[in-house]
Amino acid sequence: MAFDWLNRFQHRLEKEPGYAAKTLAAYRLGMKAKGSIVGVVVQPAPDCCEAARKLPAGKVYHPDQAPLLPLPDCPQGCRCGCIYRPMMTYQQADEG
Amino acid sequence: MAGALLRVPLFKLYRRLGWPPILPINLTLSPSPKCNSRCLTCNIWMKREHELTLEEWDKVLASLGRAPFWFTLSGGEPFMYPHLVELAQSAYEHCRPGVINIPTNALLPSIPDRVERIARSCPKSQVIINLSLDGVGEKNDFIRGVPGNFKKFEERLELLLRLRNQFHNLTIGIHMVVSVFSVGHLDEVIAYAGRSGADQFITEIAEPRVELDTVGLPITPSPESYAKAIDRLIAHVESKRFTGMARITEAFRVQYYRLVKRILDEQDQVIACYAGWASAHIYADGTVWPCCVRADNLGNLRDHNYDFKEIWFGEKIKGVRRSVSAKECHCPLANASYTNILHHIPTLARVGAKVWQPANRHRQVS
Repeated sequence: MAFDWLNRFQHRLEKEPGYAAKTLAAYRLGMKAKGSIVGVVVQPAPDCCEAARKLPAGKVYHPDQAPLLPLPDCPQGCRCGCIYRPMMTYQQADEG
Repeated sequence: MAGALLRVPLFKLYRRLGWPPILPINLTLSPSPKCNSRCLTCNIWMKREHELTLEEWDKVLASLGRAPFWFTLSGGEPFMYPHLVELAQSAYEHCRPGVINIPTNALLPSIPDRVERIARSCPKSQVIINLSLDGVGEKNDFIRGVPGNFKKFEERLELLLRLRNQFHNLTIGIHMVVSVFSVGHLDEVIAYAGRSGADQFITEIAEPRVELDTVGLPITPSPESYAKAIDRLIAHVESKRFTGMARITEAFRVQYYRLVKRILDEQDQVIACYAGWASAHIYADGTVWPCCVRADNLGNLRDHNYDFKEIWFGEKIKGVRRSVSAKECHCPLANASYTNILHHIPTLARVGAKVWQPANRHRQVS
């Protein structure tokens, strides 16, 4: 994929306090306001913790049901590299 | 413009040696992420921030002095920010920039009136208003997610072109995002823009950005499809005759389009990036970024007494500069690319040759 460095780079960014609440609130608003977003996916870091590894791969969550990142007991805390990604209608169409 | 060019050698030194410390010449301000479009290529409109007030912006702009030459007032949709006119006036009063550039989705009816106020109150700056258009008719409305957008675009364009005839410092352009959704009908938009009466038609490739929350989304056209489409645009631009500010921006754009093709092909910076030295971005909540693609948090102006210099000449930015210097990133961000071209002598020479090419060497096309 083009600009894959940015994907790796974002995994390395330190999380600001409230990352999960703020990101999921944005996605919630996006769905409520009839944007092209259909849900949220958790993209685990390559060196993620055991709990993140056990999350169902590629599962699309409603923002209200998505696990909060960093996951509880993640040993990396704000340096946790797992991130949220929006899932868009056109991605689902491509996949389906 | 001459003042900006005179700083080029200083920025080259600054990037190489870390000295002399100088403030950026190209600054993007995003006063609010709010937007009334629902574009397939952007998710910024979902964000909500504790936005800087106008008074806070005023302090920030005062701390910059006369350094910035080029301001972009961005968003979200910039005109969704209720104090956009006052923000432009504050930038003008404190910084006297050569250019104030404002992209807009053309949806709000108040846009022409507010543009008039900006053009009138910033007479020594070139005010560039670029209206977004990603297709003609319903194709535009589909990509930008707002039924009836195209009709409003045409209404605003008509009024803005009338204003342009009253203000010598006003340039009206059309801006297209070339994405997987729009690359197939670029020719149609070129033709539409050509007969629209707009001063310029510019495009930017859809790219992932941390700012827009589009990292990982399949919005960027393939290098092959982009190259095919953009070659036709380059041929079109080179066959036209532009005047005034548009002549300079179009000359830069042609070099930018060629640069993008190489960046997509080579997956490399291609020419040195000056984001973090000569260009910067201030986000709605006061966070300073080197650019909106990486959006590294260099510090928040609220924590630095609204003094941009504290962040720009501080410690945290040094690590980011090392990363950019080491080519750990590459992207086709148009705004930063303009500045980068300014600092790349061979490319700048090609821009200069195009700008000063005698008028009779241009071929006028209808």
